[in-house]
Amino acid sequence: MLRTSRLRLIRRAFLAAAAGAFIGLSAWTAMAQTAGGDLVFVQNSNPPSLDAMVTTSQASRNITMNMYETLFGFSEDIRPIPILAKSVDISPDGKTYRIPLREGVKFHNGKEMKAEDVKASLDRYKKVGGTQTMLAPVESIDVTGPYEVTLRLSEPTPTFMESFASPRAPAVIIPAEEAAKEPNKISFIGTGPYKFVEYVPDSHVKLERFKDYVPNEDYKDIDGFGGKKTAYLDTITFRVIPEAGAAVAALETGEVQVLEQIPVPTARRLASNPDIKTYENMPWAFLTFIMNMKAAPTDNVKFREAVALALNDEEVMAIATEGLFNLYHGWMYEGSTYDAGDIGKEFYNVHDAERAKALLKEAGYNGEPFSLLTDSNIPEHGKAAVVIAEQLKAVGINAVVNQVDWPTALKIRLQDSGWNGWTLAMGIEPYLGPAALISTLTGAAPHFRANDPELDALYKELITTDGVDGRKAVFAKIQKRLYEFFGIVKVGETGLMQAARANVQGFKPFRFPRLYNVWLEKK
Amino acid sequence: MTAEADADTASLRREIARARRRGWMRFLKRLFSHRSFQVGFALFSVIVLLALFADLVAPYDPNKNDYRNLLAPPSMLHLFGTDGFGRDIFSRVIHGTRISLGIGISVVVMTGLFGVVLGMLAGYVRWLDNALMRLMDGLMAFPGVLLAIALAAALGPSALNAVIALTITFTPRTARIVRSSVLVIRELPYVEAALAVGAGHARIIVRYILANALSPLIVQLTFVFAVSILAEAILSFLGVGPPPPAPSLGNIIAEGRSYLQDASWIAFFPGMAIAAAVLGLNLMGDGLRDVTDPRLASQRGAG
Repeated sequence: MLRTSRLRLIRRAFLAAAAGAFIGLSAWTAMAQTAGGDLVFVQNSNPPSLDAMVTTSQASRNITMNMYETLFGFSEDIRPIPILAKSVDISPDGKTYRIPLREGVKFHNGKEMKAEDVKASLDRYKKVGGTQTMLAPVESIDVTGPYEVTLRLSEPTPTFMESFASPRAPAVIIPAEEAAKEPNKISFIGTGPYKFVEYVPDSHVKLERFKDYVPNEDYKDIDGFGGKKTAYLDTITFRVIPEAGAAVAALETGEVQVLEQIPVPTARRLASNPDIKTYENMPWAFLTFIMNMKAAPTDNVKFREAVALALNDEEVMAIATEGLFNLYHGWMYEGSTYDAGDIGKEFYNVHDAERAKALLKEAGYNGEPFSLLTDSNIPEHGKAAVVIAEQLKAVGINAVVNQVDWPTALKIRLQDSGWNGWTLAMGIEPYLGPAALISTLTGAAPHFRANDPELDALYKELITTDGVDGRKAVFAKIQKRLYEFFGIVKVGETGLMQAARANVQGFKPFRFPRLYNVWLEKK
Repeated sequence: MTAEADADTASLRREIARARRRGWMRFLKRLFSHRSFQVGFALFSVIVLLALFADLVAPYDPNKNDYRNLLAPPSMLHLFGTDGFGRDIFSRVIHGTRISLGIGISVVVMTGLFGVVLGMLAGYVRWLDNALMRLMDGLMAFPGVLLAIALAAALGPSALNAVIALTITFTPRTARIVRSSVLVIRELPYVEAALAVGAGHARIIVRYILANALSPLIVQLTFVFAVSILAEAILSFLGVGPPPPAPSLGNIIAEGRSYLQDASWIAFFPGMAIAAAVLGLNLMGDGLRDVTDPRLASQRGAG
């Protein structure tokens, strides 16, 4: 008896101590969130625009998503959640979306956000928005109350909420009077936790804390693109430094606080530096190898299969990503909702030279040049191309690397001739899900130039199928088809190595740097 | 003509040939006893030999990737370390000097050819002078390397285009040097004498003018060689030289740029190779200039 009670006593004391420690710890973290200071975030290119809805550029998204907000956005686990909307009420026929808005939300100019602003913003998106397919099913946008809009769709579209919440070119809400202006002619006014101060091209973009920001109290913390956002920093400076070495040096001296991307070997060196913390943003993108199905010799499916079989994907990924990669054959991330399992696995990372050579013979290949298009701006692209070229040469393919700058590569790949293979890292599309990814492979301009009728039909089926289970079955068929005609080869999954000064607190790697809920610890 | 006179001319010819050989021997002797020429020649010979026998000397295939050996520091296995592809830097530098020297010598030959033809025409054919030299002045108005970059970027990245761009850039300077020599030589008494005995223009140009304009031209061409190795590295570094994976020295340095702090050996060794080649050529050029310049030669003779 005595023994038990003493044991119980000890246990109770231990629990009390643990609880005390927990309370103390949470009190400490709460106190540690200190407001103030300027944070400098470094990215390697200029934002092409700060008119958020017209651009799909990551360099813009990094900045604009701290300034503007959308009605809906993706949560941490990639479900659409309300941000400026309160909820959504979808009619049984799937054609009417009644959207009540949060009340009391302020724009940076002091005006309250009302239904008119939402209607004007969405009308503007229909005209100038960067993802034109997003609002295509929407027939009319009506103001049905001071804080309510109703969207009417021409036909039921089960994937509408997913595409409406897409951050690719986000459907941000701006004041009605700004929405009347042409692309890139607006004043940059949003509802986000930070407001625009200045943009000096080739130098920086400066934002400052929006004092009247109304956080979404339905949440306890940030969640994906939404949640409860708090601006702790006085100002944020987005500085453009194209040279990786210069950016790293600036971080090491403490001149800047966060780097969008650092070379992986540099991260290894910085691991022992107590002033710097590195973050793995993984998975970040699919590295793909796209073939031109309209130009010889890649117009022959046997030839394309030979290329896929010749590849040593592990070698390509290890070199192109400097070691931060994942090998997976699936066309959705491993373990995600639409992951189609082992379909196509037998064609992935096999580097079987004998079978490749046999297929080349079957295809009647006779040493015609294989022009491998790539660019010098995105290091993963150029490195992958060089490694792939060596691997193709090893099975007897006459591969020649054509390295140009990124805008030129984007132009050449839209031609039916002049290129056979193209290296492309797809970042946002795999993140958004099957419809966004496959839409780049069908329609008027599929990445591999020629349409595959079977894939086109499967895509139609995918976007008109209601329910996740039904869409999963369709996506499995899509993955099977992709491993039959080999217009595009998935090489692997890349990560993004990021770094920040150790006093930067609350930074969680995401699709863009969420610099709200980030604070600078005082020394 | 009598047989006696024939014999006289024949012995005179032999005499001239002997004198010419002696002159050459004396010239080479003077050249190789010149200190900076000795050093330059030794340095440059080593590089030329490495480039010529690159396939035998290089321990690895310069384009062989090895993803298990990325960014390995210099060791006995990889003398100069490896790059971000796991490729052996030593092998790449050796093959890189071959590409650089190949481009350099092509530029020298092309520049020499065009420079001599244009310089001769401008200097010898009076009415062409103004037109040609204003054209050359126009090209020379651009800073040299900038013009080469613009041309290479316009033509597209390849070794051949780099040669074309550098030839266009360096030809005007060479042509100008040839022209100024021609302008001086054509007024000299022996040219007048040749004209008087009825020698044709072709003979005068080749035997009397070109032969005597050769020494400043050779000095200029060693300079062109050195500068085009440097310029080729600049073009490759900026991505308008031979496309990757070609191991040109500029390409290797460009690839090492992002690893300057983490793997400095990638950029260091090709940088040293460029420095050695350019230094060697410049020292040789200095020696040639000293030995062929009659004023300097007479000073040395007197001293």
